[in-house]
Amino acid sequence: MGDPVSPRFLARRFVQAVPLLFLVSAVVFLLIHAAPGGPLAIYLANPNVRPADIERLRRALGLDRPLWQQYWTWLWAFVRGDWGYSFSDGRPVVARIVERLPATIELVAVALACALALTMPIGIGAAVRRGRWFDRAATIASMAGVALPAFWFGLLLQMIFAIGLGWLPSSGRATPGGGGLVDHLQHLLLPTAVLAIVLASGWSRYLRGSMIETLSQPFVAAARARGVPERRVVLRHALPNALGPLIALVTVDAALLVSGAVVTESVFAWPGLGSLFTEALARRDYTVLMAMLMLSASAVVAFNLAADVAHAIVDPRVPAS
Amino acid sequence: MSAVRARAAAAIVLATATAGAPGCVSRARGGWPSNDLLIVGYDREPDTLNRFSTHILEDIESCIVEGLTTTDEQMRVVPLLATEVPTIENGGVRLRGDGGMDVVWKLRPGVTWHDGTPFTSADVQFTVEAINGPDYNPESTDGFDRITSVETPDPLTAVVHYREIYAPYDIQFIRGALPRHVLQGRDIDRAQDYNRNPLGTGPYHVVEWKSGEYILLERVAHYWRGDAYPRIRRLLFKFLPNTNTRVNQLKNGEVHVVALAPWDKYRELAAIPSIVVARTPGNAYEHVTLNERQFTPFADVRVRRALISALDRQGYARTILDGLAPVADGPIQPVSWAYTDRIARYPFDPAKARALLDEAGWTPGADGIRARGGKRLAFTLVTQAGYAIRESLAQAIERQLREVGVDVTVELRDGTALSAIWFEGRFDAMLHWWQLPSDPELTTFFAADRTPPAGRNINYFRDDALTELLYASDRTVDRARRKALLERAQAIIADAVPEIPLYSVTRLDAVPASLANFKGNPTNTGIFWNVHEWAIR
Repeated sequence: MGDPVSPRFLARRFVQAVPLLFLVSAVVFLLIHAAPGGPLAIYLANPNVRPADIERLRRALGLDRPLWQQYWTWLWAFVRGDWGYSFSDGRPVVARIVERLPATIELVAVALACALALTMPIGIGAAVRRGRWFDRAATIASMAGVALPAFWFGLLLQMIFAIGLGWLPSSGRATPGGGGLVDHLQHLLLPTAVLAIVLASGWSRYLRGSMIETLSQPFVAAARARGVPERRVVLRHALPNALGPLIALVTVDAALLVSGAVVTESVFAWPGLGSLFTEALARRDYTVLMAMLMLSASAVVAFNLAADVAHAIVDPRVPAS
Repeated sequence: MSAVRARAAAAIVLATATAGAPGCVSRARGGWPSNDLLIVGYDREPDTLNRFSTHILEDIESCIVEGLTTTDEQMRVVPLLATEVPTIENGGVRLRGDGGMDVVWKLRPGVTWHDGTPFTSADVQFTVEAINGPDYNPESTDGFDRITSVETPDPLTAVVHYREIYAPYDIQFIRGALPRHVLQGRDIDRAQDYNRNPLGTGPYHVVEWKSGEYILLERVAHYWRGDAYPRIRRLLFKFLPNTNTRVNQLKNGEVHVVALAPWDKYRELAAIPSIVVARTPGNAYEHVTLNERQFTPFADVRVRRALISALDRQGYARTILDGLAPVADGPIQPVSWAYTDRIARYPFDPAKARALLDEAGWTPGADGIRARGGKRLAFTLVTQAGYAIRESLAQAIERQLREVGVDVTVELRDGTALSAIWFEGRFDAMLHWWQLPSDPELTTFFAADRTPPAGRNINYFRDDALTELLYASDRTVDRARRKALLERAQAIIADAVPEIPLYSVTRLDAVPASLANFKGNPTNTGIFWNVHEWAIR
């Protein structure tokens, strides 16, 4: 098979990403500053905070300077690794993100693994048994999964399994001040279920469609004519050729989730990047928002590259050099 | 197979149905509330625990850091780390001939910071110097900037010199004091050891702050009120921003207390046998601000009186508010010592509203909407999105004003955006509330020269007699004289209707039925002001 990915290709893609990320940073900076309200808006609810206080705080946060100057200061510091301090709590932005990262990685990794574990048998099974009861049931279930709003589905699971049956905790990452592995897994179950079911519903449709198309290709018929067992035809001949669209989809979804499963984390009070983003957005915490959005953009770029590489590895017809 | 699926569906329906029945909770996953642990579901994570820096309610902080005074369940200012509230009568307040005043704070003896260092007048002095100094950015310097100096004749006496008479002096140190021996010479904005784990004199100290999850407090070893206090060993504040999640955890026993419970969940929560939903008359009022600068027809008092007469506010209280909050007739609520009911009132009277609008020259057009000189009586009412009661109220207002020929378009915005809009005065009318401090200062809301950015007069209402009265009230320390001034001010406001008061906000706090000595609090001081007394029976 040889090496499908050359170092030159990787280097070129990295270089191409730099101006893209620069452009994204400028657009995102303008957008979050254009949103009504700012970091000081939340102070206005307190009648004891007077206009003089607002002006003092505006100067302290550097918000009194022209926008281009604020952007340039931020960009210059950011590229040197100085992500600044949170407008909200005064702590370093890096510290705020790093402390939330493990929870998000844990939730997203487990949810992606579970979603893939559901997607593969459902997508392949539905394609192989096209038009039969399994395919019809999978179609109905996945349509329902795609249509379910994550916040509603999450609350429904809480109502059933936490309040109604009392089997699982309704939210959080662990019982405060304690809790072993079982406790941890119990907390992980409901948010994982929401993410995995919603993701697998979409992915399995793509895999089914792609598999049906591949199974109708002449090389599959040729394999069958050669007497290759059906199981081997599906898993070794058809599947690698059908994975392309799924890989692209999974990587984009994974990139977006790495920056936080915003809705699911909010419903389940999961202490990851998603809930940090929600909080930062409500408080217009510009420094935290900029750092998180840049991480998200970088993740999309990196995961897209990873998708191209992975696609080239599983399907040698795809050029990646 | 279809039978299997039918059974599964039935199981889900049954589980969902039982989940909806609040009495069905068979066990508390977090354990029942006890004198060992009480779990509080909190709607947001604090930014900092430094009481002078935070812009979030100080519930958690008030368990740790105590003020010289606090406010009780009836909004009275009561001494905490001071032995008494200084007044003219007890010699604690001296008015000077140069127009200034001196306030003598006598500190409670025997109080120590949690590290054992005595709490003294030097800490009070340091607090004023830090807040007025150039190197620290507290949330507000209100009142502190009128202090010229603090004298410390002995460790238990702080004499605060004001350059002018400042009526709310009694709540000047309600947020406590900064420990001099910890913070002197430091950058307080970045002093994370203090801001995340403040040194206080209160009944609790921080054991752990897990970002995004919780803050755990534990009782201090030798609280100054005696070793019998506090009665509950640990308080756990869990951060649960999603309202439904907070309510679900309460039902499930994963949290025991939810402060400021949403009104639309009242019946759901009240039905849980292990929970009591305490109702505390609040010091906030919901109202419709009428921006005279942006929408000039509001400048006519006949139009303003017509608008308030067209609204069935009693009906809103009965239906939308589910009887939880009484109609408000002005900015000062019955819980305040300055409240008066001897003011003009406007009962629901659409016929009077139509007559007033006719008199003001606004006549109905072909579409039923009134107009004058080619200008339609049509404005936008902006309010907060995702706030069920406000959205319902806005719709009711829209419908009832249309019936008298006024066209209202409701616009929903998120809370942060809303703050910016009012600060810049870019709206016609706004449905929102003001939460007032325990001191009844109205100047910032109604004085003619306090329109943004100088204050919160976002009605852009101008009445020189009222302005004079309000400033006179701010410079009057004598309670009886100040009350007389504020009563006259309330009468003028009610007569002129610069805004439409709707209802007085009632606080709902869900607490365990087994919790003793819970008293509630109408102000932003919060329900934990007497947490040292709380106990599970």
